[in-house]
Amino acid sequence: MTPELIQYLESIKHNARLEDADETDVMSELEAHIEDKVKELTESGLTAEEALKTCLGEMGGTRLVARQIYEACSQGSWKQTLLTSLPHLLFGLLFALNWWHYPGWLSIVLLLILATTVYGWWHGKPTWVFSWLGYTLLPVLAVGLILPYLPRVWSFLALLIYFPMALWWLFHIIIQTNKRDWIFSSLMLLPLPVIIGWFLAVSSSGRFTEYSLQLLDYFAPWIGLSFIVLALTIAAFIRLRQRWLRVGLLATSGLLTVTLIVHYTIGRLNTFTFFGLILVMWGVLLVPALLEHYLKSGRKITLRRRHTAASTSQ
Amino acid sequence: MVPRRDLVKGSSSSLLLSLIEQQPMYGYQIVKELAARSQGYFKFKEGTLYPALHRLEKSGLITGRWQLLPNGRQRRYYYITARGQAKLVLEKSQWHDFLTAVKLILQPGPSGS
Repeated sequence: MTPELIQYLESIKHNARLEDADETDVMSELEAHIEDKVKELTESGLTAEEALKTCLGEMGGTRLVARQIYEACSQGSWKQTLLTSLPHLLFGLLFALNWWHYPGWLSIVLLLILATTVYGWWHGKPTWVFSWLGYTLLPVLAVGLILPYLPRVWSFLALLIYFPMALWWLFHIIIQTNKRDWIFSSLMLLPLPVIIGWFLAVSSSGRFTEYSLQLLDYFAPWIGLSFIVLALTIAAFIRLRQRWLRVGLLATSGLLTVTLIVHYTIGRLNTFTFFGLILVMWGVLLVPALLEHYLKSGRKITLRRRHTAASTSQ
Repeated sequence: MVPRRDLVKGSSSSLLLSLIEQQPMYGYQIVKELAARSQGYFKFKEGTLYPALHRLEKSGLITGRWQLLPNGRQRRYYYITARGQAKLVLEKSQWHDFLTAVKLILQPGPSGS
């Protein structure tokens, strides 16, 4: 394969962002098509270089082909839709039905989430796994919440170690997820502003008191509702084909859930917190995209340097 | 006037189902058949054929199977499913009605004179 052809196919592969199973089929088909066409064109008298150029011109631009492939393959089945929205639905029901009072239910839900995530992660990282993955970050968050209860010096030291480690872990997960598609990182982090919002509403000081539990009990139906809104968002996300509609949906849903939290916790969250939550929501959407852009530029620079080094050494 | 691109887009599923119904075909063969049978009218960016085929496959109207050729290469042949055949019958009838209506307008008979 010539570098030009490799670049063409790689560009389609990168922009179509397919699941592994689909990717092999689609790329092999395109490759076979190009081989057939180039063979025919060379037999008609063109040089190999001219034939490839003509062929790629007739195939269409990589962005157009990749976008159409994405739209053809991205829509999930109803089974996938249910699987993807299930963790949000479970969390919603946990609060809406007041199951959160019972440690048994809480443990079952957390174990189920952990087991499902591990299963999905080791079985090709299907689309549905990313919404489950977001909730596996909860134990990390829980550790952070426990730390202020340690004696003052220990608490300070533990927090000093905890924050870089937690951030490293978060970025590690985002980078791993970004390898599939940055939009799945946003999907994974979608509950983050909701969890932060409700946490601040029940415990603005960062410590859980008896009063915080009373507030949690009072807000439980609305907490449940916000997670059900997330579940519905994810269901629509999976059924949509167009990428720009998916991004728009995540942004709208983030805005809606944050507004819902501020509305139902009258007086508990001020305008400053509302804008802070909006900022977190935009961070959830934009950080994975920017990170992908940054990593892609870094890869391009490394490749260019290697290419330059190779040409100068020759 | 309706652009040719929109006409092709609107009829692509009927055209693909119709070709695949006659015999199982692979992508490149479909492109060649479309261009040959339409005397070059149905010419489009060839890379966009595969998204159209995958959309039909996802809808259960066709199914693709890899076949190993004697020369060691592999090709993905598409077969029409029972659901695809039923859809094609419906689409053919709709196209027939549409073409009849268009002809009646474009070639006015005695009642129009």
